[in-house]
Order: sequence, then C-alpha cells, then structure tokens
Amino acid sequence: MSNVPKGQISIEELENVHITIGKIVGAIEEKYEKTEAGGMTPKPGVSALRDWDHSLLSRYQPVYTPMCDQCCYCTFGKCDLTGNKEGACGINMEGHQAREFLLRVITGAAAHSGHGRHILHYLTDKYGKDHPIDVGPSNLLAPNIQTVTGIEPKTLGDLEPAIEYVEEQLTQLLATVHMGQEGAAIDFESKALHGGMLDHVGMEISDLAQISCLGMPKSDPEAPLAEIGMGCIDATKPMLLAIGHNVAGVANIIDYMEEKGIADQVELGGLCCTAIDMTRYQMDQGGVPHAKVVGTLAKELKMIRSGIPDVIVVDEQCVRADVLQEASRLSIPVITTNDKIMYGLPNRSNDNVDDIIEDLTSGKEKGALVLDLDLLGELAPRLTLEMSPIRKEKGIKALPNEEELKVLIDKCVQCNACELVCPNNLPIMKAMEIGADGDFTKFEFVHDQCAGCGRCDQACPKEIPVLDVIEKASQKAIMEEKGHIRSGRGQISDPDIRAEGVNLVMGTTPGIIALVGCSNYPDGTKDLYKMADEMLRRNYIVLTSGCSAMDLGMYKDENGETLYEKYPSKFLGGNLINVGSCVSNSHITGTAIKVAAIFAQRNITGNFEETADYIMNRIGAVGVAWGAYSQKAASIGTGCNRYGIPVVVGPHGSKYRRALIGKPYVEEDWKVFDARNGEEMPISASPEFLLTTVETVEELMPMLAKNCIRPSDNNMGRMIKLTHYMELSQKYLGHMPEDWYKFVRSETDLPLAKREELLKILEKDQGWEIDWKRKKILSGPTTKLDVTAQPTNLKRLCKGEC
Amino acid sequence: MVDTTKNTLVYTTWGPKSAKPVNPITISKLVSKAKRPLLVAGSELMKDEVMLEKAVAIASKGIPVAATGHSIKGFLDKGVEAKYNNIHSLAHFLGDKNWTGLDGKGGYDLILFFGHKKYYLNQVLSGFKNFTDLKTIAIERHFMQNASFSFGNLKPDLHVEALDELIENL
Ligand code: SF4
Ligand code: SF4
Ligand code: SF4
Repeated sequence: MSNVPKGQISIEELENVHITIGKIVGAIEEKYEKTEAGGMTPKPGVSALRDWDHSLLSRYQPVYTPMCDQCCYCTFGKCDLTGNKEGACGINMEGHQAREFLLRVITGAAAHSGHGRHILHYLTDKYGKDHPIDVGPSNLLAPNIQTVTGIEPKTLGDLEPAIEYVEEQLTQLLATVHMGQEGAAIDFESKALHGGMLDHVGMEISDLAQISCLGMPKSDPEAPLAEIGMGCIDATKPMLLAIGHNVAGVANIIDYMEEKGIADQVELGGLCCTAIDMTRYQMDQGGVPHAKVVGTLAKELKMIRSGIPDVIVVDEQCVRADVLQEASRLSIPVITTNDKIMYGLPNRSNDNVDDIIEDLTSGKEKGALVLDLDLLGELAPRLTLEMSPIRKEKGIKALPNEEELKVLIDKCVQCNACELVCPNNLPIMKAMEIGADGDFTKFEFVHDQCAGCGRCDQACPKEIPVLDVIEKASQKAIMEEKGHIRSGRGQISDPDIRAEGVNLVMGTTPGIIALVGCSNYPDGTKDLYKMADEMLRRNYIVLTSGCSAMDLGMYKDENGETLYEKYPSKFLGGNLINVGSCVSNSHITGTAIKVAAIFAQRNITGNFEETADYIMNRIGAVGVAWGAYSQKAASIGTGCNRYGIPVVVGPHGSKYRRALIGKPYVEEDWKVFDARNGEEMPISASPEFLLTTVETVEELMPMLAKNCIRPSDNNMGRMIKLTHYMELSQKYLGHMPEDWYKFVRSETDLPLAKREELLKILEKDQGWEIDWKRKKILSGPTTKLDVTAQPTNLKRLCKGEC
Repeated sequence: MVDTTKNTLVYTTWGPKSAKPVNPITISKLVSKAKRPLLVAGSELMKDEVMLEKAVAIASKGIPVAATGHSIKGFLDKGVEAKYNNIHSLAHFLGDKNWTGLDGKGGYDLILFFGHKKYYLNQVLSGFKNFTDLKTIAIERHFMQNASFSFGNLKPDLHVEALDELIENL
C-alpha cells in the first residue's frame, strides 16, 4: 500500500467489487492538513448559490400548505390569496407562502446568531480575543464556518468576521421580505436555504465560543450524566429555576455558589437549552453536573404552576411570554437577564444587590431586569435562599388540594371546549368524566401528551383551571418522571471521523439519525424513545440535541437504564450521542462536512456547493425534528437541506407551511453525473424529500431506513440498508414495501438469507431476468452498482468539463 | 337522519373560504357520483377499533384506499386491500395532473378523508384548497374548515351514527 499515490484513484470497469479503505485514510488526512486553496464561494451573497438551490428545488419541489389564506403585510391589504390569487402588490399565494417560510427561517437564524453575538462579545470581554478555540482533538475546528466563509478560526477574535458576515446576510435576506420586490416563489425558497445555511454558521460560532471558554466537554464520549425530570427536583430545598438558551448568566450563578460554598443549599434546575448547557458547564474534566434538568418548554408552565421554584431567571429564546404573570401569582420573583426578554421590568443592572433583594423579598417589585451578569451571579442565589422561607411562611399554595380537585372536576359540564381548543385535541372532557369517579388514568395520559400551553384554561366556560387539574391529578406519574441525560459532548472529533467515515460513505454503518428540536410531539414523548431504541439496536448512529436529547433520557428499560446508560456514545454505529444544546446542532452538519474534508480530502474552504454535493450523494443522514415548533427548528432543518440532508418533522411541522418533496415516479428527476466521464447515471429515489411531515413513529422508522440510502452505497452497505427498510416496514406497517425493488442494483444488494426468495419475487412480479444457476440478475434494475462511480450533481466537476 | 351540520365552531380560522357543513346522505351522493373517488385513511384509526371498522366498511363499497401513517397495518390485518402513502407526498402527487394514481389508471376527482389528526388534516387540506381543483370531503369528528365539505363538530356517539348512515347509502 505504501506505493499507492496520494490523491484520487479511479478504477474503471470493475463491477461488484467491495473495496475496504484502510490506510488511504491516513494519506487523506495528511492531504487535508496541507493548506488548501480557497473554494469558489467564500462568504457567498444571497444569489451566489442560487444555481445549487434551483437544482435542489427542481428535484424537491415546494409543497405549500398555507396557515392563513390572507396576507396582511402592508396597508395595501389585507388581501385574500385563496386559490393562489394575487394580492394588491402582485404576489400570489405560492410566493407569499415561500416568503412566510423565509421569514420563519431568518427569525430562527437570527435567534441563534443573536445568541452567538451576545455570548461571543461577553466571552471575548472576559477572556480576550486571543483566547484559543479549543473544542477537542480536532484540526478542523469550525467546519460550517470554514465551508461557508472560508475563515479558519483559531481564536475567539477570528469568530468576529464570521458573525459579521452572518449578520450582514441576514439583513439582506430580511430586506427581501419587504412588500413588492420578489415575486417568484423559487427565489424566496433559495433565500430560505441561504438563511438556513447561515444559521448553522451562527450556531457554530455560539457553541465554539462557549465550549472553548466555559469548560464544556470537548468531543468527549464519556461526558457525565445529569439528572433529568420534574420528579428529580428536591422540593424541600430552596429552588432556583433557570429558563432559556444562553448559559452565560447561569455560569456566574454556579461560580458564586461554588465560591461561597452554598451549592448544596440551593436546588438549581433548568428548562430548555440553558438547562443542557448548565450540565455542560465545567464538565470537560468530568465530575457531577452543577445542575439538574427539569425538561423542555412543555414543562415550563407546569413547573412554574407546581409552585416549587423560589426564584426564576430567564435569558432568551424559547421562554414563555407569561412567565412573569404566572410566577407573580405564586410570589416567585423573576429576573430577566437579556435584551430579548425584559417583561417591562425596571432595569436594576446598576443597583446594589441588597436593595434589589429588599424590593423583591418585600413584594414591592415582581422582578428585575439585570443585564450585568456578575451582579446576577450574586443576586440570584442569595435571593433564592431568602425567598424560600418567606414563601413557605406565606403558605403559598400552587396546585389545588385533593378536595379542591374534586370540586373542580365536578364543575365540568362536558362542553368539549377545552378539547376543541387544545392544539393536540386531547381528551380532556373524557378525563374529567372518569376523573369524577376518582379514576385519574386518563388525566395521566393527557399530562403525558400535553404540551403545557394553557389554552384549555382560557377556553373553559366554567373557569376551571384545566391545566392545574391535569397536573394535580397526575402527581403520582409526575413524581416518577426521573431519568438521566448525557451532558452534551460538542463536536464529533477528527479522529472519530477517521474511524467511522468509511463506513458511513460505503453504507456499512446504515446511517446517521439526528433527533433534534422541540417537544411538540403528536403522541407524547415516549415515541422518541421508541424510535431511538429501534434505530440504535439496528446499528444506526443516533445524534441528538436540545429538547429531544432531554426527552430521550426520560424513560428507562426493564433494567432501569435510560438510553444514555444502555448505549455508548462514541461516534460509531449503535451509539447515542448528545451533541448538546440548540446551537450544537451545527455539529450535525459539521460531522457531514468533516467526512467530506477528512475522509474524502475535499477542499471545503469557502466551497459550499462541492461540499454539499459530496454530502448529498454519499452520507446517509436524516434529521428528525419530531416535535418541532420553533422558528429555530425551521432554520436548522433548512440549513441541513441546503447540504442535501433530508429532514422529517412531525405532523405539527405541516404548519411551517411548506415541504420539499420529490416525485419518485418522474424518472428524469433521479439522475446524477458520473464525475469520471460526465455521463448521466440514474439513481434510486432517496432521499425522496428534503423536508416532509410524517404522521406516526411507526410510519417514520421504515422511512428513515429508506432515506438513508445513497448512490455511493457499496453492495454490503446497500444490503444492510435495504434489510432495515424491509424489516421495519414489515414490523411497523405490516407489509413488504412496494418500492423495495427500486433500490436493488444487483443480486449482491439483497440480504443473503433471503436472496433466493427475493430473486423469485423480482422475476415473477417485476419480470427481471435471473440466471438461476449463478443466482445472478441478468436484467431488470434501473440503477447500476458501480463502486468506482463518482456521483455528482455538478457538471463542472466531471472529467473534461474544466 | 343524523344532522351533522349544526356545530361548526372553530377557534382559529384560515381565512374567508370555509368548508360547507354537510349531512351523511349528501356525502354518500357526492361519493357515488364521483368517477374516481379515493379514501385517504389515517393512523388515528389505529387507536379506535370502531372507527377502523367503519373505514373498512367504506373500502368494501369499492372505494380504493390510500392508507397514510401506519394505518395500512389495520387494513391488511382485516384483509382489505390498501396502499401505503405518506400523506404529504400523496397530497403532492394528487395535485400533479401527470400522476397515474395508486393503480396506474389516472388521478382522482374526489377525496374522502378519515382518521386524521385535526390540525394535520387541516394543513393538508389547505394545500388542496389553494392549489388544486380537487373536491375534498372530511368525515371526521371535528369540523375541518379547509375541506370542500365536512361534518361539523360531533359528539362521539353521533359521529358513529353519521358514519353508519353514510356507509348505508354508499
Ligand atoms: S404584501 Fe401584497 S398581498 Fe400582502 S397585504 Fe400587501 S399588497 Fe396584499
Ligand atoms: S395545556 Fe395541555 S391539555 Fe391544555 S390545551 Fe395545552 S396541550 Fe392541551
Ligand atoms: S371546557 Fe371546561 S367545562 Fe367544558 S369540557 Fe372542558 S373542562 Fe369541562
């Protein structure tokens, strides 16, 4: 092997050969480490990648499902666009929906990059612009930043031009949303894809900065486990609850409590991504996380209404708008710490801690805006210790007691208003009916599926606090809500990619399933657990982050183990990896980029299109945002889409208004070029979509297996993927999928144990010609197995083109 | 005769154009008159045996079934022919005049929806309403404002009665 030249090897006219690449990987790595010349599109502007987008959108067409048939953007309107009519400015429904989608994406991207800007400034002030970026044993530190901007950051200061680029582009995109101007839906779509790509740069900036400065795990498969669940909170201690996505302030709180030796006296818990990042803080050397995770946004109102928190600190993003009102009813002071949420509170950033404490403990003020995070570090824990006895003494009662519960349930007149208004149409009326006889099982069912929105309360004509009733009646189940979550490990490291890249490209590790996003599930949290467990058992790599990472830790198997305890967390098949919080989603696209850069020696620097082309045709990865509701989930998914990574959202995701779905029955849509000679090469229709919705997890699982199939699969890889697709369809849909044969390129793609049986079906049902002596397919498949083929969507990459 | 048109209360609205609330007998007539009707049956049927039985009864009147989600399992277990489809893809294909249908014989002129989540179906129907000429009918327990025709909001027992009347007249 030592004589093999470094660089690309082309073996023509070899069929059915299974090549295992071992030592070449070392050579590839050497190549990467040499400085590469920049790619074609460093810091692309709004139209720079338009051709790429249009080619994606010609295969995956936008499918619009408007949330509203009217447009009320400007004073020309409002305009009724029903039936794809044009409004007064000339835009039609399609164009308007694409514009609405773009707006969602840039809102999400702005939330992440606004976070990135805040934390980068804060950390640069504190640690200096020369503070090194240290995210683990990697040379490729910032795959998204490098691919998109061409910048290879080494220090915090190097992140500055990258965030400036994102901000400038987001402004340009926002400008296109102004009335008039763009009329073509496809160009709004291209802009949305641009926004999604920017989002991954913004997220990466945030996470690189915080991992480097706040001692978060650095690509650590052994990152510690943290406690999670409402049931794990010790309500006997004074409790401080942090909600949001930006850990900067809470890090100071933890430092203060450690320094003063009061950490044991305060129960520190968190909701949403701040909670995840609290469990990452200072865990790069291992240890016991400084905080517990209460759960996702779905638990926010429930946790406040439990009355357990003595003080609430909020920062930014997924935080309910009514935290102050809800908390004040229960004498819980609220501290807001970020420009994004101020709740109309007085700014106390320059005041004395004792004065603020006096005003809050006396009830003179309901809360305070504290933008000085050093002040916050001292204020929040001290206030918690003081508030706890005061609230106890006041006898603050949150949920109804047993007798009151009965009275409330008896007030129900079975009008069904709550069920109609509930976003999930949960059977609350039925729960009330059987709850009247003391049977609370239906309430427990409702609690499990309830997203904690509080709409039922507002609808009830009898003024029953419906959510409180649900929560009180489910107390037993809530006490059992305890689990473990592995604190986020951050990036997948370069050595991880070296070890596993080949299996991903050949398909012998059947795929990466990325479970991300929020908690607006269609049928409760357990679905996520079921799905992850099934795919892990089948040797898929499951990456997770944010709220999904939390909910995966909420269930235990018969041995009392959560998935994080049951499965290891290396970057290998059958491993479960929590990358971290919302902004850590950039490591998912980052992983795919790293495979292109490290395993395949592609020049990624400022070279988006070629990197995406590589990923799209070779890396079997599917993102799943099963409970997606935020705009951030839309931008994360859209960023994946521009790299050619398909994303599935749960049924609520249909409210994002548009999907990107291909038509497998249109043959000309499923062709790529073979870069060796520029010839067109038919491929199987996978991924079938870039963004779609799915009804149930049972439907989802076979779909995941199918959509991990890629043109580059070798015969072993395709056989493995096809086996999972067929088995999962049989297990969950009760049938052999109708299109399985479309993924068969040769008999070697068929599972060995079933080969003969399947060949018979191919002969009988599809009319394929089989040589039964050699058990070989002679004719029939529409796609060819050729491990040396180099599938690409970019004609210019083909031999002889440039 | 069950009156399924009384309660069309909605808590949020998509806009000025809303479904016409109809009685079972009207739906039976519309379906019987259609040249190529299609039943799109969803996974909510898997949570309720009675509803699944009703869907099977509709299918047994010779209406082809596109089974979405994992409802295919329910139909196959009962020996009823159905084809699996993802509902979002199906909606995309149904809007394509070049699509040749589940059987290769062409598109459909009337789509009956049953066994779906309310919010999800309303979104799918919103696509049909705005971008196709297809007639859509929802026979769910809740009023589906984005269909062309729909039952109103019904209590569970009335819904069963309405479905029986519809099936009887197909
Ligand atoms: S932006 Fe166009 S469609 Fe919207 S309200 Fe103004 S004129 Fe009407
Ligand atoms: S709080 Fe829960 S039960 Fe009430 S409307 Fe919201 S999701 Fe439904
Ligand atoms: S809205 Fe109130 S009265 Fe009506 S069913 Fe629900 S809980 Fe009962």
